[in-house]
Amino acid sequence: MSKKLGFLGFGLIFGFALSRVGASDFNLIYFMFTGVDLTLVGVIGTAIVIGALGMFVLRLRGAKTAGGQPITVKRKDLKRWSLLGALIFGLGWGLAGACPGTVLAQIGEGKWLGGFTVLGMIVGTYVYAHLKSANPDI
Amino acid sequence: MTFIEVVFVERWPFWAGGVVIGLLVPLLYYAFNTALGVSTGYGNLARILLPSRRLTWLQERFKEAWGWRVYFIGGIILGSFLSARLTGAPLWTGEMGVLTETVTWSGPVLAIYFFAGGVLLGLGARIAGGCTSGHSIHGMANGHLSSVLVTLFFLVGGIISANVLRLLVLGGGSG
Repeated sequence: MSKKLGFLGFGLIFGFALSRVGASDFNLIYFMFTGVDLTLVGVIGTAIVIGALGMFVLRLRGAKTAGGQPITVKRKDLKRWSLLGALIFGLGWGLAGACPGTVLAQIGEGKWLGGFTVLGMIVGTYVYAHLKSANPDI
Repeated sequence: MTFIEVVFVERWPFWAGGVVIGLLVPLLYYAFNTALGVSTGYGNLARILLPSRRLTWLQERFKEAWGWRVYFIGGIILGSFLSARLTGAPLWTGEMGVLTETVTWSGPVLAIYFFAGGVLLGLGARIAGGCTSGHSIHGMANGHLSSVLVTLFFLVGGIISANVLRLLVLGGGSG
């Protein structure tokens, strides 16, 4: 199976699930951060537990892909500015009521204001590319 | 309720969404030896849409502009589109929950607001090295301490900005 087609399919499942569980709903994010409704914490928490169990099963089976290649899990190490970046990301998460995945689900659902969040994300990534040219450590 | 209605029409209980999303982590490794993650794909979009001739990071990191991440993004949009169609939601809506129910901002002000939120998301995700899917779900499912710390700071940022929004714009009530 081609990797691109495969990811189209995996994305389809991801987007369907995000939409079904309400993760693309502005209120669910806003109410999570204001402590009113912790549904999304439950979604993310369950996903972490199930993801960990699935990785455990893969390791039991020798940590091989379907094609027999060894699986290599990459750790995202902390860099000097990582936690500041995380804080900036969090501020955006709370304001936009979406994260990089769920904003795509907003667009799929026709919530057009999410389109401006996406444009902002592209520009924010572009700003990073400029910062990276000036300071390779960032 | 029939099985079809439960899966394709009703809102899922939180755990069902968690199970499906969580399974993506091992499945992506099993199929393609690839870590779950969305935010890096916005680098592909920036590379496609904006001039990058002098930006080494965009040029090298996204050598193949139309890489698999673009297809993953397209799939997410398509999947949520199908989901909304099956529930009979409107095709097009300016709704954004309590925000658009409460404020009387004009369209351009709302657009600038969400654009600004997006800039923070895009910039922050790249400096942090990932987002909710890459760090919080993929990283924590693999027991990476760095991802736990990053997620903690995601939450701190979100709690700060959502509560500033609550106090300054949405009238201080808890909804």
